[in-house]
Amino acid sequence: MEFWKDETEPIKAFLALFENAKKDPELSEGLKKVNQLIWFDYTEDGPNCSFHVDCRNGEIKARVGKPEEQPDLTMSLSADDAHRSWSNKLNPVMAITRKKIRVKGSATGLLKLAPKLKRVASIYGDTLREMGWEGKIIA
Amino acid sequence: MKGYSGRFLKVDLGSGSTGFYEPPDDHYRSFIGGAGLAARIFLENGDFEADPLAPESLLIFSLGPFAGLRLSGSSRFSAAARSPLTGHWADSSCGGNFAPELRYAGFDGIIVSGAADYPSLLVIKDLSVKIESCQELWGQGIESTTSILKHRFGQSFKTLAIGPAGENLVKFACIMNDGHSAFGRTGLGAVMGSKKLKAIVLKASKKTFYVQDPENCKRLVSDLNNRAKESVTLGVMRENGTAANLEGGVHLGDVPIRNFTSNFWEEMAEALTGSTLSEKYLIRRANCAFCNVACKRVVQIDDGPFALSKGPGPEYETIAAFGSLLGSMDLAATCKAGRVCNDLGLDTISCGSTVAWAIEAFEKGDLGLSDTEGLKLKWGDMRTIIENLIPLIAFRKGKLGLLLAEGSVSAAKRTGGDSDSYTVHAKGLEAPMHDPRGGGHGLALTYAISHRGACHVFSPMLFMEMGACYYPEIGFDLELDPLSSDNKPEAAVVAVTLGALENSACMCQFADREITIPEWVELFNYVAGMNWDIEDMMKTGRRIFYLQRLINHRFGICAKDDVVSRRLLAPAADGAPEGIGINFEEMKRRFYELMDLDSISGSPSRQVILDHDLVIEKSLVMEDLF
Repeated sequence: MEFWKDETEPIKAFLALFENAKKDPELSEGLKKVNQLIWFDYTEDGPNCSFHVDCRNGEIKARVGKPEEQPDLTMSLSADDAHRSWSNKLNPVMAITRKKIRVKGSATGLLKLAPKLKRVASIYGDTLREMGWEGKIIA
Repeated sequence: MKGYSGRFLKVDLGSGSTGFYEPPDDHYRSFIGGAGLAARIFLENGDFEADPLAPESLLIFSLGPFAGLRLSGSSRFSAAARSPLTGHWADSSCGGNFAPELRYAGFDGIIVSGAADYPSLLVIKDLSVKIESCQELWGQGIESTTSILKHRFGQSFKTLAIGPAGENLVKFACIMNDGHSAFGRTGLGAVMGSKKLKAIVLKASKKTFYVQDPENCKRLVSDLNNRAKESVTLGVMRENGTAANLEGGVHLGDVPIRNFTSNFWEEMAEALTGSTLSEKYLIRRANCAFCNVACKRVVQIDDGPFALSKGPGPEYETIAAFGSLLGSMDLAATCKAGRVCNDLGLDTISCGSTVAWAIEAFEKGDLGLSDTEGLKLKWGDMRTIIENLIPLIAFRKGKLGLLLAEGSVSAAKRTGGDSDSYTVHAKGLEAPMHDPRGGGHGLALTYAISHRGACHVFSPMLFMEMGACYYPEIGFDLELDPLSSDNKPEAAVVAVTLGALENSACMCQFADREITIPEWVELFNYVAGMNWDIEDMMKTGRRIFYLQRLINHRFGICAKDDVVSRRLLAPAADGAPEGIGINFEEMKRRFYELMDLDSISGSPSRQVILDHDLVIEKSLVMEDLF
């Protein structure tokens, strides 16, 4: 992996990102509108390298690992590309077309999040700083 | 040749005669079908001097080789003619269910010439053809025309019809298939109206279709259909229609607002996007024949000023043209406006754009109350637009109806003043609902170089700039930035070639995004026995692109006409593309260089003509050029 020391690092960073996103009123509302159970699957970089976000029922819950229920949407990619994606440095359409991101299920909810990617990237940068990982921020 | 019927139906409405025209095999091989073959047929049989609405003009309906296959996206076909809106060569494409039925009936297309003395109906049952009088249908909207014809002939008959706009020769009149799918662009409904051809009804008794390599074809079609079913992007389209990503488009600056004066309107984004349409008004999804994508909408609005019975709903272009473009975020109004336009037989893009121009003209004082006969034109006043303005245009009523029925470019010329500065078009065709400043700078180039004018389906450039295309087999692995002009001429070379192939094979630009370049070659070979490799196929695409330019040159189109309105090139005032300019002249210069186009005539060089086997006997093109 280019950005991560081991498979636990990206999950720590992404869970912290969602914790901070919940505190941002605009992003929190945006996430609730997604209204899906999403599994972010980075297991190509390690068997425990994944997390899920449950945006259903007006709540946002982010947890380590694969959800017990069947996810509405699964996004499989590398942890490095996930880092680029949350940093708004990876065009998601291009990544899907070139099979860097494999998607299973309905991406309709996710489209609602697409306009907020700049905001996500800003919060992600702040999150990495809080964690002492400024060096991972992509210029 | 397999995959084709080998014959076009010829109809002369002046003499009332019908017959067959059998293009030679090499015309199919060299120009495929659809828009490409229609251009070749026009070159051989058309009258370059004829006014688009004169009896001598030809109206050509042309199928691609895949019409009749049970393949997602294959049920489109082309209509082509000299456009009454733009004055030069034009084609338009339509989905629905007519194309496979025409193939099953035994035809690759229909060539209509002459003009009848009375409203006429063309009735096709397999190879049997009749021209009937249909005075009772003249003046009827498309909904009732379709309903009457289905009642009279049977529900299984497929229909093509024009509405009052086509009868009244409105320059952006459309032709509708079964009231839900349109040959929207370039005013071909007016050409049909000038021939007094109200409708065509069609039925094939057998559903047979012969291909070159049935076994491989079946396997490939099955693979492609499965992929269309599983595709995440097509799944989004199925769920929320072609407006599924309108919200995202607003944030990119792609969706035009108030006649392209703004590139961002946040509240509108969610109000008009596809998921909102699904939540509020969607009754069911609908599809073109054999298509797994099902991006069409059937909607119903129970109450309010724009209440609507169950019926066809708007797609993206209509939602934007009668929403954001007119300063409205009333989704119900877009549904109503779309339905009214469909019934009257108007292209929603040109209609919305012409209305947008009129509102700005009124706002700026170039049109006054005396011009509008007391009608006040305001952004977002959808009631006036739907109840007054659209019918005035379709029936050419009053000074305003007569003015706007000519389209925005002619209307500006007649109005004078500074009103030309806020027309938004290329070669006289109003721009579709993708603003190149946010949607992608390459779109400005492909709007400009398109033979038909500003059109988003002339090529897949929109998809290429958003990142939805990856064709390493032909060297297209560029990662394009929509907000930059870098690499766009190189991308446009690929785009115009693929666009010519798509529009000649008559494949849907949504559904065919899942088809790889090697699979395109396989499709042509398995269905029609083309025996092509990738370069043969790409050369055919380029040949068609060049032919369309040569025909346009005969209509007087030159390099100076390969431009878009200034408004599309001025740096955006707001939104994601705020302040970013488009380097149009440099993109065009480089594209001309790459395609070996003459900087004055805009036509291909002698060498290109020779290399692409375009030295065509009987054509005056070469003599004119050299």
